[in-house]
Amino acid sequence: MSRHCRLTRNRREFLTDAFCGFGSLAFSAMLAEERARAGAADPLAPKPPHHAAKAKAVIFLFMSGGPSHLETFDPKPLLNKLHGQPRPQEFGEVKYQFVTQDAKLLGTKRSFKPAGKCGLPVSDLLPHTAECIDDIAVIRSCHGDMVVHSAAQYQLFTGRIIPGFPSMGSWLLYGLGTESRSLPGYVVMPDPHGAQEAGQPMYAQGFLPAVYQPTMFRPSGRPVLNLDLPSGVTLEERKKTLALIRGLNEASLTEGDAEFSARLNAYDLAFRMQMEAPEIFDVHHEPAATLEMYGVGKEPTDDYGRRCLLARRLVEKGVRFVCVVSGGGTGDLQWDAHSDIEENHLRMAAQTDQPVAALLKDLKRRGLLDSTLVLWGGEFGRSPESQGAKGRDHHNLGFTMWLAGGGIKGGQAVGATDDIGLRAIEKPYHLRDVHTTILHQLGLEQNALSYMHLGRKERLTEIEGQVIQEIV
Amino acid sequence: MFGKPWIAALAAASLLAAAEPSAPLGTYRPAERRHWAFVPRAHVPPPYFTDARDRAWAASPIDAFILHRLQKEGLRPSPPADRATLIRRLYFDLWGLPPTPAEVDAFVRDHAPDAYSRLVDRLLASPRYGERWAQHWLDVVRYAETDGFEYDTHRQDAWRYRDYVIRAFNDDKPYDRFVQEQLAGDELAPQGDEALVAAGFNRLGPLRKNAGNQEVASSRNEVLTEMTNAVGAALLGVTLGCARCHDHKFDPIRQSDYYRIQAYFAAVYERDIDKATPEERRTWQAQAEPVEAEIKRLREAMNKAPREERGQWLMKIEAMQDKMPPPLPAIYTVANDPAKRSAIHLLARGEYQQKGARVGMRPLGVLLPDGAPELPDDTPSPRLELARWITHPDHPLTARVMVNRIWHYHFGRGLVSTPNDFGRMGARPSHPELLDYLANEFVRSGFRVKHLHRLILNSNAYRQSSSTRNAAAEEKDPENKWLWKFNRRRLEAEEIRDAMLAVSGSLNLKTGGPSVMVPIEKELVAALYKPAQWQVHKDPREHDRRSIYLLAKRNLRLPFMEVFDAPDFQVSCPRRESSTHAPQALELLNGALSNQQAERFAARLEREAGAHPGRQAVLAFRLAAGRPPTPRELALAKAYLASGSRREFALAMFNLNAFLYLN
Repeated sequence: MSRHCRLTRNRREFLTDAFCGFGSLAFSAMLAEERARAGAADPLAPKPPHHAAKAKAVIFLFMSGGPSHLETFDPKPLLNKLHGQPRPQEFGEVKYQFVTQDAKLLGTKRSFKPAGKCGLPVSDLLPHTAECIDDIAVIRSCHGDMVVHSAAQYQLFTGRIIPGFPSMGSWLLYGLGTESRSLPGYVVMPDPHGAQEAGQPMYAQGFLPAVYQPTMFRPSGRPVLNLDLPSGVTLEERKKTLALIRGLNEASLTEGDAEFSARLNAYDLAFRMQMEAPEIFDVHHEPAATLEMYGVGKEPTDDYGRRCLLARRLVEKGVRFVCVVSGGGTGDLQWDAHSDIEENHLRMAAQTDQPVAALLKDLKRRGLLDSTLVLWGGEFGRSPESQGAKGRDHHNLGFTMWLAGGGIKGGQAVGATDDIGLRAIEKPYHLRDVHTTILHQLGLEQNALSYMHLGRKERLTEIEGQVIQEIV
Repeated sequence: MFGKPWIAALAAASLLAAAEPSAPLGTYRPAERRHWAFVPRAHVPPPYFTDARDRAWAASPIDAFILHRLQKEGLRPSPPADRATLIRRLYFDLWGLPPTPAEVDAFVRDHAPDAYSRLVDRLLASPRYGERWAQHWLDVVRYAETDGFEYDTHRQDAWRYRDYVIRAFNDDKPYDRFVQEQLAGDELAPQGDEALVAAGFNRLGPLRKNAGNQEVASSRNEVLTEMTNAVGAALLGVTLGCARCHDHKFDPIRQSDYYRIQAYFAAVYERDIDKATPEERRTWQAQAEPVEAEIKRLREAMNKAPREERGQWLMKIEAMQDKMPPPLPAIYTVANDPAKRSAIHLLARGEYQQKGARVGMRPLGVLLPDGAPELPDDTPSPRLELARWITHPDHPLTARVMVNRIWHYHFGRGLVSTPNDFGRMGARPSHPELLDYLANEFVRSGFRVKHLHRLILNSNAYRQSSSTRNAAAEEKDPENKWLWKFNRRRLEAEEIRDAMLAVSGSLNLKTGGPSVMVPIEKELVAALYKPAQWQVHKDPREHDRRSIYLLAKRNLRLPFMEVFDAPDFQVSCPRRESSTHAPQALELLNGALSNQQAERFAARLEREAGAHPGRQAVLAFRLAAGRPPTPRELALAKAYLASGSRREFALAMFNLNAFLYLN
């Protein structure tokens, strides 16, 4: 027998405790939650928010790989002055993935000009986005905990640095349901060049039921898996099959059977999706001027433009969360500019700048920007030091993201990094604060939006986040 | 010369150890110790009934406890399910497969009093049983065959652990031994492949490997965390992981308890044991040598290059590493390396740089007398010590947690409805005396899982009908907590797939061995960070094997599995969701798998029932639903088959509640 096997406690104590205590209270609360969820025939039916919402939908323009704040929205004259020198000691120590402590600072070749009425500086990399700056709130003091892609991407999407937790999109679907009756409520449009380091689990619903899973749009052909009839089956034939399925399932249905009724509804919805969604997916119904605005039909904007336009069409139909990914596959096909920041960012910006601006303008002219929150950014920024001669490494201690629409006050920059863009020093906002702000705009409280899992009330923000008050 | 710095380092380490404060042993209040799951199991005699009818129903202790509670709530049990329903229930429950029409007929016609218990015994004796029940355990231990994170590297021989679990269930391996082998197989039987494979349990968690400046201490901390959390969730059924960052908010588990459990793993490292034949090794070397030479060349070039170009060189090396031939057969296990023992500290907020006081090995303090000492660091076989503590017959948690899991899988709901959380935030047992009765029986039988199956499956509670209409009971106990009927359930993802294969006649029952990658949509493969990882098995017969033999890849869940709520391989899953939504309908109506199987099912109907629509419809129902169609169903089916396609009819069968649900 092990030295530790002296188990104390006796039966009398057991019985004293058997009918009182905390556990039963917690349990009944949990059951009520479970019942509420099970009772609703359709878990995706729209649900009221916790407080009045400013936004109904989110479009996340995910710049995968980590775009540089130093080349986009956070000009640092001192960095150019110190170009080629080691980082002065007063800026402190940091850990990078690749660059070492003796690396030299790298100035930027970009130039910044005041844009819009607000006059915020935007780099010449993003001339179209600059035109929309009065609608954009630039957060220059973002920071996260991880300096490698996979873990940082998990944190960006799920609030945790490990896989297995629900993403923002799944949380919103769980909290608010969807207003679309013929489209999936949470859509991810990956970059056709390939996947991200964190892979599928980053977008997934984690421990939430599969009903809250993302629908991954395929890059080619028709975007949704299983929307096409199998080859050789005609629509007429399929309608008869569906009638047979309904007839047989109804034949064994007893009154008040919520789950089987929900199954009948699921088949109706599936059929509506099949009939209506392809029409919505086809962006060529748009006027030529709109296609041109998004850069559809010309390179290098065609692909991202098409996906941004589709994002608008989805949001218009009540889809709750759309993620439009820029970058995928090997690092250089993402914003992951290890070897040459100029070449990489010029290329990535050229693909996305016009479509992003077109999306904002299009949403605005349709009156959708008020209710659609647009988030732009990556899992981190890039290092002030050079990697190799011309590249920049990952950097998580201070970087830029922006928000627009959905009640966000644009035309301002919030927070600041130090004079070389190394560390967020003024009003630092963690990724969890960005999450909290998004939830807030959609009318959700981070603590109320929870799910009992393995004995914990899990939520999107592991540590409580704060709303970025300056912009709401 | 070599030894000198090593001795100096050792001396420095021991000085450090002496200077570092140790965490206090802590005390636990009587109220904390009194939590129901921490006190010894009770031995309550089953209730006695005066009414003869009650006595007949309550023939077994399980039924006596259930009936007693039902009566207290003013409820009555449901009548037994019919025999066709019972045999289908048993087949899916124990095998995860449907019975054949001949098997249903034989059972329905067998009026011997022991027909039912013989059926239970027959099902338990089949290898199909282990293939079904191993899946439950694999859910709990978050089994997968890839690392996860960015590389999601395949663990070529991880399937050996899966086969070990299947064998353990089939052989009715005592659960105490099962736990000991998994936690400490390398210490228990270092010469035995079986136990070494089992100890791969300690390596099942996701593993982060990144390019560039590796944070060795950070990675080590993550590995230790995975090992520690698994003990809490899978074996002890307490949310030990909550105490990683701070004292547990609700349970008497201090942060020091967490790290004292972690200390048992302080010297654990991965160990791969080469099992290749000389021939295999020669072939491998012939393929590997040119690649290795190139890697060596790249490394040398990197060492000569300026430091800041290291990243690019590393990427080139990494690309070359992908060209290495697949690893040789191996056993993935662990071994203690006392020389590389990690010092275990309390870590503020769980962060590896935020070191607090040092701790040594000790099990959970709330289950020990106050002041129980830590084990010395040089204790031989530390994990075996932990395993023996966990599997001690008097341990208040272990047996309760396992019998509750078994009950949960049989009834769709545990006596404790939170199978991984027996703490204060978890559910309290609905039938505490029954839980203890089962746990006592489990221990008394020598931790035999099949003994518990027999007790449960032969009870009247299990044999109740699920389709009883009882408005009053529905109103009073809508969740069926008191078991006034059996719980209908949707088949799980693997069961649906396996049943489609079985019904269409194409199921390949080959057992064991390396996992299979099946054909999937091109776009899904393209969406992998390394698409070359997905190597579809060349023999199409392999694609028709049972789902437990399909590769469990963390970064690519099969859409069919995902849409039907299969777990995500990342964290322990004690209880699957059962959601209902439109993508499931799309998957079954338009998906490649269901359409392929429908085609084969249609061909089978024609082959076995001839061209007669009525006979085809009857056979289809008997295969897919385990019963003949009702007159209304038959009329609908015949009308459809008169003009519609047989293939679409077969597809419709896969979409029926009668196929997808278990009564």
